[in-house]
Amino acid sequence: MGHYEPKIVCFSCKFGWGYLGDDAALSRQIKNWIPIICSGKIDSTHILDAFKRGADGVLVLGCPEGNCHYQDGNFEARKRVYLLQKMLEPYGIEKERLRIVLSTDPGGTQIPQLIKEMSDRIEKLGPLKKIKGKAALVV
Amino acid sequence: MAEKPKVAICWLGGCGGCDEAVVDINEVILRVVDAVDLILWPVALDFKYHHIEAMKDGEIALSVINGHVRNSDHKEIAELLRRKSQLVLAFGACACFGGTPGLANLTTKEDIFNWVYRDAPTVVNPKGNHPQPKVSVDGKELTLPEFYEHVYALNQVIDVDYYLPGCPPPPDLVVNAITAVLEAKLPPKGSTLAPHKALCDTCPRNKTKPAKIAISDIKRIHEVEADPNSCFLVQGILCLGPATRAGCGEACIDINIPCRGCFGPVEGVADAGAKFASALASIIDVEDEEEVKKSIDTIDDVIGYFYRFSLPSSILGKKDLKKTI
Repeated sequence: MGHYEPKIVCFSCKFGWGYLGDDAALSRQIKNWIPIICSGKIDSTHILDAFKRGADGVLVLGCPEGNCHYQDGNFEARKRVYLLQKMLEPYGIEKERLRIVLSTDPGGTQIPQLIKEMSDRIEKLGPLKKIKGKAALVV
Repeated sequence: MAEKPKVAICWLGGCGGCDEAVVDINEVILRVVDAVDLILWPVALDFKYHHIEAMKDGEIALSVINGHVRNSDHKEIAELLRRKSQLVLAFGACACFGGTPGLANLTTKEDIFNWVYRDAPTVVNPKGNHPQPKVSVDGKELTLPEFYEHVYALNQVIDVDYYLPGCPPPPDLVVNAITAVLEAKLPPKGSTLAPHKALCDTCPRNKTKPAKIAISDIKRIHEVEADPNSCFLVQGILCLGPATRAGCGEACIDINIPCRGCFGPVEGVADAGAKFASALASIIDVEDEEEVKKSIDTIDDVIGYFYRFSLPSSILGKKDLKKTI
């Protein structure tokens, strides 16, 4: 009773993460998983939307530094994530709730593990603090 | 003689700048008053709200409403005008997106009251008086409008037919909007009566922009002496042009001030601040993780800068008063 399980939305680049894995099996393990063609394609709007719709955390998985299929999409994503972390703080959304990892895992087996790690950290923070204290955050 | 269409101009939580913008259409206003019957304009003419209450529903052809909704009085007037009007035009950044007062949504009502009535250094309030919606004095009940927890854009309180953004809207767009109503040549309901593209598209400095903008130092306009002819972003100065709707007539750019976003997001975009974040991140030309952090950390008050006029209608900050009360 009362156990809080954070909802994590995971965007992952298809070129670096899980492309050799069994999609169906991975999908069953990873809730709210959104494989995308390049992490650079993830717009700030998508991340804010995830929080608006009830995500407690957003994990972005991009390709390793220097290995983007489209030259620098992963670097673009990383800059965006840092900027968004600063935008989220005034709403009372701690920066730990948005994370980017640049690495590669063709089998996708690390994805559930990374989500678990993030989930554990967010569990300590608790659910997003709605309205109270920070009037702007209306979820 | 056929009866002239009735028009109401009203301010809610506004500064008066939008009413000023109506006067700024100069002699065109003479044509307007010839063509319509002004039945309400609190800032300029002495009509009473009970005159409006006595009217039939839908009797007013157009209500031009500026300002945000922050208290129960604003809400009541907005609802009254909606009931009595065929068309409602949200006029100016506050009515369209919440405007600069919307940044107060980052602070609670309690903090605002504590500062204004207790903690600000210029306040002397030994009895600790706070305004109350109801108070009894000598057996009589006095009332004040209820101050809400949140600043709302007009469409979060009533249905809005058309939008005309700007802080304030420029005279040419005001004239266009009025002409469109008078000639019944209006676009589909819900349209913004301004161009669809981003400000960069019409910016006179656009031609000075290189194929790729790459900056590492981010500056604010007061920290540097800006070159009056080249693109602000190329100079590393934050300018919201890429994520802001065109139509303002580049009034700020012309006096060497970067765009601050009063025209709100471009057509089809819900959140101007998020789009600007995406655009800005792309032109920061540093790859090393620590350098990225250092560069981004130099921006003071990210949210205040990106959402100066639009926090109450942003993805995370929007709230609908129609649903909550």
